[in-house]
Amino acid sequence: MRNLLNFLARYNNLIIFLFLEGLAIYLLLTGNSYHNSRVVNSLNSITYGVETKISNTRNYLHLREINEDLAAENIALRNRIGRLVKSVDTPFALITDTIYNQQYYYTSGEIVNNSINRQKNFFTINKGKRHGITTDMAVICGDGVAGVIIGCSENYSVAMPVLNPNFKLSARIKRNGYFGSLGWDGRDYRYALLSEIPQHVSVIIGDTIETTGYSAIFPEGVMVGTVADFEKKGGDFYAIKVKLKTDFNTLHFVNIIGNLKKTEQHGLEKLFQ
Amino acid sequence: MINSILRYTLIFILLMLLQILVFDNIQISGYINPYIYIMFILILPFEIPSWLLLLISFAAGFIMDLFSGTPGMHSAATVLAGFVRPYILSINSPRDGYDQHTSPSLSTYGLRWFAIYTVLIVLIHHTTLFYLEVFRFEDFFRTMLRVIASSSLTIIFILLIEFYRRGK
Repeated sequence: MRNLLNFLARYNNLIIFLFLEGLAIYLLLTGNSYHNSRVVNSLNSITYGVETKISNTRNYLHLREINEDLAAENIALRNRIGRLVKSVDTPFALITDTIYNQQYYYTSGEIVNNSINRQKNFFTINKGKRHGITTDMAVICGDGVAGVIIGCSENYSVAMPVLNPNFKLSARIKRNGYFGSLGWDGRDYRYALLSEIPQHVSVIIGDTIETTGYSAIFPEGVMVGTVADFEKKGGDFYAIKVKLKTDFNTLHFVNIIGNLKKTEQHGLEKLFQ
Repeated sequence: MINSILRYTLIFILLMLLQILVFDNIQISGYINPYIYIMFILILPFEIPSWLLLLISFAAGFIMDLFSGTPGMHSAATVLAGFVRPYILSINSPRDGYDQHTSPSLSTYGLRWFAIYTVLIVLIHHTTLFYLEVFRFEDFFRTMLRVIASSSLTIIFILLIEFYRRGK
């Protein structure tokens, strides 16, 4: 027994054992195609997770180009819709007039500078006169109202977002069509105020607020937001708190909308004022 | 010394031939494959150095692998068996220890001692061998059944050979 323990102590057989066992397992894994494929497969399933992560990251890094492509495609499609939409109720038109049935045209742009935490906020778009942008064009983000162009240079234009006390928008409750004036109270970038809705009108929290199109800047029916809260405040009108659809904090890609018939409408209106 | 080396070499060749020519052909319903060549590791003398035991174990496994076309599988199992043999001997030692110049055998230490010794090493060897062969855990209990069935048969054959040796 003591001899045996002496043997165990004197010969560090663990090293020899590990060496021989390692050799055997190496032979097992390289010499047998079945064992080899099992190992390769399980290694693959481990690396698969990592590779998925890498691929996801790569996709994320390419989102910018993807977004630009999608934005360009959106614009093309919106322009086609604009051309088609009025064709139904215009039975006679000059065939040389390429825009006879299109009222709005669209351009895409990218925000290069933005602010949300001041009283008078502005954002800058990387499109200017060269791209056909003029003042008083509407800016939307997705389906939501973003702002109005107030100044252009060759390559850039500055827009006034809803988050500016000077921004006034004619908006209405989609459900019943009553319209009022939308403005910002300078408090929270997520909310705006809709006033001039008379108190006899029924308002429900969650009602959709959309543009009227009366100003000839925004097309009719662009979503502004939803009713978050409302109260009866002296006089005859509600003060409605509107949760804006557009998140100005993450604003990046926008569409700029021009109204081809705005000058005509304004010119006509001016005759009677 | 030379005499005993010659004797063990002969036993080694005999066991290998027995395994390859006879027992490798016993495959009952694909479940039961006795591997009696492991007996050689069982009956080596107590005084054998651990490193030599490991090398002999590896050699035995490697020769088996060559004949069955499964490189590394038997080697891994026999090296493990050779590695645990000294520990099992010390755990399972008789009350008055092992006598000098003897080797583990049924005739010297009795059936009970030899059976426990054989069962432990054969189970370790067969478990390693069969799980390395399937190399996955999906058929865990099926493989365990194979281990138990084959080990039983191997143990029975080893005990029979030991009885025959004692009788001689």
